[in-house]
Amino acid sequence: MKRWLVLLVVALFVLSGCARAPAPAAEPAPKPVLTVIGPWSGPEMEAFLPVLKAAEEKVGARINYRIYRAEDLASILPAQFEAAQAPGDVIFMWDWWVKENAQHAVDLADVWQSEAGQFILEAAEAEGKVCAVPYAMTVKPGFWYRKSFFQQHHLKPPTTWEELKALLEQVAGLPGIKKPIVTGDGVGWPISDITEHFLIACGGPQLQLDLIAGKVKWTDAQVRSVFADRLVPLLPYFSDPVEWTQAIDLWWNGEYALYFMGNWLTGMVKQPDDLGVFTLPGAKGVVAGTDYAFIPKYSENVDAARKLVAFLISREGMETRAKQGGKLAGRKDVPADVYPPADKALAEALAQVEVTLPDLDDSIGGDWQRTFWDQLKLLWVRPKALDEVLTTLESKRQSK
Amino acid sequence: MDLRGARARLWADPLLLAVPALFLILVLIVYPALQTLGLSFLSKDGAFVGLKNFADVLSDPETLNLARFPAHTPPWGSLVHNAIWILLHLPLTVAIGLGLAILLRDVRGSAILRSIIFLGMVTPMIVGGVIIRFLFDENAGIVNAFLRLAGLQALARSWTAYPDTALLSLILGSVWLWSGFAMVLYSAGLSTIPRDYYEAASVDGASPLQQFWYITVPSLRPVTSVVVAMTILWDLKIFDLVYTATLGGPGGSSMVLALQMYFYGFRALRFNTAAAVATVLSLFTLVVGIAFIRSSRREE
Repeated sequence: MKRWLVLLVVALFVLSGCARAPAPAAEPAPKPVLTVIGPWSGPEMEAFLPVLKAAEEKVGARINYRIYRAEDLASILPAQFEAAQAPGDVIFMWDWWVKENAQHAVDLADVWQSEAGQFILEAAEAEGKVCAVPYAMTVKPGFWYRKSFFQQHHLKPPTTWEELKALLEQVAGLPGIKKPIVTGDGVGWPISDITEHFLIACGGPQLQLDLIAGKVKWTDAQVRSVFADRLVPLLPYFSDPVEWTQAIDLWWNGEYALYFMGNWLTGMVKQPDDLGVFTLPGAKGVVAGTDYAFIPKYSENVDAARKLVAFLISREGMETRAKQGGKLAGRKDVPADVYPPADKALAEALAQVEVTLPDLDDSIGGDWQRTFWDQLKLLWVRPKALDEVLTTLESKRQSK
Repeated sequence: MDLRGARARLWADPLLLAVPALFLILVLIVYPALQTLGLSFLSKDGAFVGLKNFADVLSDPETLNLARFPAHTPPWGSLVHNAIWILLHLPLTVAIGLGLAILLRDVRGSAILRSIIFLGMVTPMIVGGVIIRFLFDENAGIVNAFLRLAGLQALARSWTAYPDTALLSLILGSVWLWSGFAMVLYSAGLSTIPRDYYEAASVDGASPLQQFWYITVPSLRPVTSVVVAMTILWDLKIFDLVYTATLGGPGGSSMVLALQMYFYGFRALRFNTAAAVATVLSLFTLVVGIAFIRSSRREE
């Protein structure tokens, strides 16, 4: 009996193995997970996340966002790339840096070729490939002011140098004003933006391009004249460098009347409708900066990352970003209607500007950029050091 | 044979226990240090260039700018700035740390006060740099608020923005952050000095100052050598404070060696030159380390 029972159990066991198991429900292929690394945090990040949300559907991937400033990436990425690792699939970085490290970047020529004609700025190309593509733009249009402040004190935006000097004198005499213009200070870039605006307004857009290309020396008479005759005489109207976000509050509260900053300022003040902006008299160009997206060749999701970059620079992707405000589309075919009011006015004004120019220090990059920031900070508090500053800049430019 | 076996075991057991630590030291410290040393003698394309990278570093005005030193305001070069940092920071730290330890020795609840003072030491130095920047800020800074209160209006400005005060403000800020460390060590050292010494000295008629010079200072010599060595090492490797507060500026007036190494490596992408600075820094720290070990042996 016992033997029969054992045989029965064995037979059932064998038969159960032969029985056809129920087919598992067909599981969809797992979505790739992409990591995007960018420099934006706070309100700027909030404005970028909807773009990634929209991209998830288009690309068919889950997308994570990580914040790293370009300065930090510059120290992290070389070691990662040496180990054939990539901390992200799509990384926003300086164009000069990607060019210097082009051997680690995926060629984006196929993504870029169809869109290039619509873009205001050019892609970063090196080693015969498109190693990074420009994204949404920021522009540095000039000096911002509060319309209510100007109305209260019967002030008008200047259209000539004489009017500008008269305005600064008038503001300097107002009660409660520390200085007419507050100088923002980050690692040094707000001061470099002001300087570039002077170079373009007083030396012309070509001077900016020639300085980027290294065709004109920093010690050249034309350059020195912009500094000595235009910028330095106005430095007494500028405050000492103040941490740039703190400077926004001080300026907004009326301790200063003017603030030179990029258009991201519109997303950082309580009433963007109260903002007005004017360029230096005679300015025929404005600087437009952007962050460049590249794909490290060590990414495990190069195809999905390529689709994501294609979406980001597409008209749809760019419109999604433009709607959030704080940045302008890098494409010419994005209509002004998609922007929030403060950015719309700026986008329309930008369309009237004769030339949009690349950022000087971002284009040259390297240690020269750091020197440029540092030397200008020196100039701001020691205007007499002008020749020393220009000589240092030229000597560093030669050694780059 | 038995004796030899016992001797071998005597060596083998501790050696076996040290193997994991030795392995980690070899992989994480010795190997990278040797690689860095090797890199400092090579060009970007891997060719041997001898001392060229070192010559480049030392001839760079950002390292040594003796034409300006000491007649003009900084920049004087990172090497000089590091030396000034040590010359100012070390005596101030020792004096303040020892002074605070003595002041708080017999104060009730001094443990809480000591903990508060020590907080500066546990603050991440990146945060410390930001705090220093705000401490000396023209608008928000407490230092300038005190100066205005004291009627020194002319001195009230953003200290970190001016070449003549940027380095000084960083050094003073680092004294504030680091003195807690010296104070804690000196407090521990003071607690080991027997009270009998002071009582006997009092009976012999020694004044408090004489007691300080002839009892406290000699008894604290081992602690002082630790404080001095650690402070010099801290001064040599100072980076994060400067990076966040001034980025070495304005005009290079607060540049230090470690930051310069970072800029060579990660901004100029000249890793070989950065390795040369790293080697120079290592040599300096080695000198301090050897001096400290010798001093410790003498104390023993």
